[in-house]
Amino acid sequence: MIDLLTLAFVDVLIDLLQPGTIARIVLDALSKSALYVMIASGLSLIFGLMGVLNFAHGSLTMIGAYLGGAVMVVTVSAGMNGPARFVLFFLAIAATFGALTLLGSAVEVTLIRPIYDREPLFQILLTFGLVLVLDELARIVVELNGLQPRSKWQAAIGTAPVFLSNWYTVAGVSTRGLYLFEVLLGALVVAGIWAFLTRTRYGLYIRAGSEDPEMTRALGVDVRKAFTVVFGVGAGLAGVAGAVLMWDPRFGATVPLSVETLLVAFVVVIIGGLGSFRGTVVAAGIVGLTDALMTWLFQNHVAFPGLPEMVTFLVLVGVLIVRPQGLFGVAEVGGH
Amino acid sequence: MSADAPALELDGVHSYYGESHVLRGVDLAVERGENVALVGRNGVGKTTTLRSILGLTPPREGSVRLDGVDVTGEETHDIARRGVGWVPEERRMFGHLSVEENLRVATRPDADTAAKVEEALDAFPALRDHRDRDAGDLSGGQQQMVAIARALVGDNDLLLVDEPSEGLAPQIVAEVVDALGTLADDVTLLLVEQNFPMAMDLTDRFYLLDHGEVVESGDSDAVSQDDEMIRRYLSA
Repeated sequence: MIDLLTLAFVDVLIDLLQPGTIARIVLDALSKSALYVMIASGLSLIFGLMGVLNFAHGSLTMIGAYLGGAVMVVTVSAGMNGPARFVLFFLAIAATFGALTLLGSAVEVTLIRPIYDREPLFQILLTFGLVLVLDELARIVVELNGLQPRSKWQAAIGTAPVFLSNWYTVAGVSTRGLYLFEVLLGALVVAGIWAFLTRTRYGLYIRAGSEDPEMTRALGVDVRKAFTVVFGVGAGLAGVAGAVLMWDPRFGATVPLSVETLLVAFVVVIIGGLGSFRGTVVAAGIVGLTDALMTWLFQNHVAFPGLPEMVTFLVLVGVLIVRPQGLFGVAEVGGH
Repeated sequence: MSADAPALELDGVHSYYGESHVLRGVDLAVERGENVALVGRNGVGKTTTLRSILGLTPPREGSVRLDGVDVTGEETHDIARRGVGWVPEERRMFGHLSVEENLRVATRPDADTAAKVEEALDAFPALRDHRDRDAGDLSGGQQQMVAIARALVGDNDLLLVDEPSEGLAPQIVAEVVDALGTLADDVTLLLVEQNFPMAMDLTDRFYLLDHGEVVESGDSDAVSQDDEMIRRYLSA
């Protein structure tokens, strides 16, 4: 028995160490990590500054997926050439970011702000209630338009610009243009947030407010305005992630995307440390690599359904046992 | 704004933590350029008085006026922007921000931030070598210097300083006293301090707080020798 296991392990190891295998796993890991960082960074920023665990974050991603798809379905016509689709695709991403930023800001001002001074349980119940409302509304709208809430929106998938659906060879491995785009966009999002937090006055306010909101207010900073900006931008990022997931064959626009992405976002921010953007980036890399490695193992060697998800959650459990505050977490964050 | 109004005036201020009635009608006034101590035993409401001025613990009754303008009920950030600097108890550094970033947070949005930071570092040269270090990694004395510099860098003319000597070694306390003594000439100061001799040395006048009320006030020079009062109100 032990000999058989050893042989199987050696077989997996030999296969894994093939240059093509490593490149494939790394590419898959990078694209997944990029998606996870886009999904989770908004949640992390919101918790870091405001101490609010936004359960509706996944719903915002799901709405972003449908919204991005809708912009393309409405604007792209059958005979439209590549460059025009290319431009419309970026406009769809920008429009989704704008719309979700506005929605997030409105939610913060009208629903969350009045309960800042209450127990955290009120915020959890409120955002959980939002999940039910937003997901049910999405289900109604989707069904009214003749779509199945649990099936991917095929008509929207067909509007993708050519560069997303084409295949390219990188490091000897053939990969979708979409995956390369995800890596690029994820890197841009990380660099953008990093620059915003470390190079701008408002970013400095947000970092200070994350540590001690009361002290920050006493220095003349309107922290509540920062709350609105962060909640809005966090929602916008969730929307952008959704708009990209819309065309990703591993995801696609469905109503349950809401819960799927919320789970991933929570796993990433908990591993990274609640409220730490640096932790979110590192954790997204860890989760993306684990997911990619386990997906490869499942597809090639271990026919065990749910293996990637199970191992990802085991990583979460392991981190929580060794370092309960997460890799880069601090004892206390956020507040009002 | 009234030209001859006190820089700070509290009139019958009542403040609570939940149902706990902490300030029971505090009256005090600090004239422009004056240095005033607020003394009293632990738990009599000194810190709450400073928090009430800043709107962090908003008064339920009474009023707080800055230069004659009633600011009761205003948001904390609006009160701070009127030129009120706060050096809180236990310093409350942004521990994960550098010393320089701690100072930059406190500058006014329309100010020349770099110039203001340099001014603050000129005033506290010991901090210059640590400007890029996380404030949380500094010693208690260095953190106190940052806290004072941070309160000044926003062009504030009224400083509320809460227990600056708390938790510091005697030698460091002397440095903090020097620093406060230097800047006390240029600003209006309301100092909360348990170290009674130090408070009297740094200030012109004092208010003695007991059970949330001002029970005594006078010149700091006169009270320094008044052992009976020290014994009655300040001894543990």
